[in-house]
Amino acid sequence: MDRLIVNYLHQAAAAMRTSLADRTNFALQMGGMTLNNGFFLLMWFLFFKGFHRIGGWGGSDVAVLLGLMMTIFGVAGVAFGGYRDMAATILSGEVDALLTQPKSVLGRLLSRDSMASAWGDFVTGLIVLTGFAGLRWSQAPLLALMIGVGLTIYLAATVMFGSLAFWVRGARSLARDLADFLVMVSSYPGSIFSGPSRWIIFSLLPAGFVVLTPVRMLRAPSVETLAVLAAAVAVYVALALSVFRLGLARYRRGASPVMGM
Amino acid sequence: MSAVITVQDLRKSYRYAKRGRGLIGALRGAVAPEHQTIAAVDGISFEIAAGERVAIIGPNGAGKSTTLKILSGILEPSAGAARVFGLVPWLQRKMLAYRIGVVFGQRSQLWGELPARDSFALLRRIYDQDAAPFARRLDSLVERFEVGDLLGQPVQRMSLGQRMRCEIIASLLHAPSLLFLDEPTIGLDITAKAAIRDFITEQAANEGQTVVLTSHDTRDIELVCDRVIVINAGRIVVDQPTDQLRRQFLGRKLVTLQSAAARIVIDLPGIQVRPSAPHTTILEVDTRLVRVEQVIAAALKDGGIEDITIEDPPMEEVVREIYASTHQ
Amino acid sequence: MKSMPAPISRRPAAAPSLNSAHGLIAAARMGAAGTLAGWPVLLGRGGFYVVAMSILAALWDKVAAERVPHALVLPAGGLVIYVGVTEWIMMSTPAIHLRLEDDIRSGALEVHLLRPKLYLAQKIAETVGGLAARTSVIAAAAMALLLVSGRTVPAPAAWVYIVVLGLVGGVIVVLLYAVTGLCAFWIRRTMPVYLIVQKMLFLLGGLFAPVSFYPRWMAQVSEASPFAAALYWPGVQALHPSASLFWRALGLQLIWIGLLSGLAALVWRAGLRKILRQGV
Repeated sequence: MDRLIVNYLHQAAAAMRTSLADRTNFALQMGGMTLNNGFFLLMWFLFFKGFHRIGGWGGSDVAVLLGLMMTIFGVAGVAFGGYRDMAATILSGEVDALLTQPKSVLGRLLSRDSMASAWGDFVTGLIVLTGFAGLRWSQAPLLALMIGVGLTIYLAATVMFGSLAFWVRGARSLARDLADFLVMVSSYPGSIFSGPSRWIIFSLLPAGFVVLTPVRMLRAPSVETLAVLAAAVAVYVALALSVFRLGLARYRRGASPVMGM
Repeated sequence: MSAVITVQDLRKSYRYAKRGRGLIGALRGAVAPEHQTIAAVDGISFEIAAGERVAIIGPNGAGKSTTLKILSGILEPSAGAARVFGLVPWLQRKMLAYRIGVVFGQRSQLWGELPARDSFALLRRIYDQDAAPFARRLDSLVERFEVGDLLGQPVQRMSLGQRMRCEIIASLLHAPSLLFLDEPTIGLDITAKAAIRDFITEQAANEGQTVVLTSHDTRDIELVCDRVIVINAGRIVVDQPTDQLRRQFLGRKLVTLQSAAARIVIDLPGIQVRPSAPHTTILEVDTRLVRVEQVIAAALKDGGIEDITIEDPPMEEVVREIYASTHQ
Repeated sequence: MKSMPAPISRRPAAAPSLNSAHGLIAAARMGAAGTLAGWPVLLGRGGFYVVAMSILAALWDKVAAERVPHALVLPAGGLVIYVGVTEWIMMSTPAIHLRLEDDIRSGALEVHLLRPKLYLAQKIAETVGGLAARTSVIAAAAMALLLVSGRTVPAPAAWVYIVVLGLVGGVIVVLLYAVTGLCAFWIRRTMPVYLIVQKMLFLLGGLFAPVSFYPRWMAQVSEASPFAAALYWPGVQALHPSASLFWRALGLQLIWIGLLSGLAALVWRAGLRKILRQGV
């Protein structure tokens, strides 16, 4: 298991070095994304200046939410960036070459890319969390844990979306759309969701577990909330690994759509 | 010599739904799909012993790549059995991976955006190789293939020939005893092809590696392999040593004469003249009807012969003959 | 191996007569046909619209229902239809910046260097064709959502104003993205510039809320900007339909189209000069 992690770290580090290699491009990507997030935050700032609260959520609550989301998105993009284009990689048949090697295919798929722009998300997220979220320094370990939990479930969901490529040819845009939907619903205060949309954010697009419940955990820590999160992590990770394995087995039966060769 | 690879009645069929055209067709296809089954591999059996260099050839879609994918553990067969080093490839893929090296002509197993040396370093970890022996192997391969100047370049920025050299190095770094090469020389220029062929032959000779390669290029077979398996429509049609194949299928020799005279005429049965430039005469000799020495003797009698070449017909022709004769 | 997922456009087998309106109309038709042919992507766009609208409707309905003391007052009927209009325009615009970036980086431009003006005009015309196709599909999705939601539908006159200003607004967004794509002459990835332009559209264009809600100075800057010309002025017709506002808005839009076209042409010429001097 530790071999798996060490190998993964080496591969991810190599991908990060590549994204850093072109300094100008890196700076542009990171800077551009930081500016982009800045605008986004400015809009929320204007919203709360005008409307003060929404459904019990104030400005600092939304700051926790957005800070978490951006940090999670940032870490995912930097250290596991292959998730974004996983469907395309699978559809192009590159998995063949990976299967001839004795290590995990999923690890290879996730570590193959590190997005320079994700550093912008990571940095903005940290700034928001430390400066605007109204958190105390004593909450730092809990915050780190919540980032880890959210990251795990986010990656599990996107791995499932990407694995659709083992079944469906149009998975490339579908997987990206689903991932973008997930980020979208994770960027709004949970109190606005009711009825069917509440079901969706706790299942297919698990914003409820990626950010909403972690925010609740940070504002009002409780054992029950923690247990819910632990269960969610277990379920989503198990689901993601199963779906991927099923898809890979299908690929190895030759039943997957593969473009190119 | 024990068998490294054994294949018994291997079969692989693909079943896929026919795609409808346009929106209506796509909807119909989603609700009530029509299926088509293709047998890519239709019952093949063979054994390969350690140290053999085998070429698997055949027309496009014959099942060569599918066979290789099954043997390297990437693909599961529909039926039949296969063992490589006693392991079942698709069930014991990871264990097998340590003992085989695979090169795909059309796909890369390296990290495209990383400098080549980073790819090699990562492969060391993936194959759990110790640093010192690995470094020695890498250095000797790098020297042998003359890629020392390229190590800092990302693989995807290299030319095809350079990339293939790196791919082959990558496949050998963990000292596998069996090499699978799927179209290794495709798209390469003559010099690059020659370099790779030489290398494969050398490896097999020095390290006793078993080599299985698929190719469209018949020179690959001629120069590298000592045994040929011809697959057509998923079945083995020929499985013989390379020389025997040539002799059996054609029983012909090509005799090329260079002379002072514009043309040499030889009146013997079993000889067909092929078109050629002046002062060159190319004779196709059917060795079942007349012996080559008779032809040479007849040519020398006239005098004025400046050069004689006796060759086997090119593999191209052999293969074409085989496909033609098995198409009935 | 990162690559932008730009849909590939098919060039006509025999190019129509240069620089004529015919050529541009043909390009527009081709753009529309190409967009309709890629119907899975269109469905995705439609899906995006539905998801985004569901979230934003939930947001603004909640704000309207809550009446937090000292908060800004929403117009009667809320902001949902306004956002429906602005999102419709935003989501209908094809990613011309990606296509331009691809062409510039891959060197496919070389073929067109002999006829500089035509390439850009053709590309924009093609994109406007695609815009028309997407606009129709997403409008259908919007109408369906509106009917299902049971909200009060704006008056018929308002529809005319909305559709006209919305289509012209879409052209403004296309021009903004075109200038973005042309930046590829100088920077490798236009994504950062694109994101900034997009955020300007969100913020100064009033995507999520009318710019009249902003502090006065900001509202004035926004109203004059091309971003508001693209989104706010069409959207505001859903809140206060008005003929005089319509004509003023249309005039402002046409001015911006002129200015942005001129800017695009200038940037294009500068880019070509750069290529001719030092290659891509």
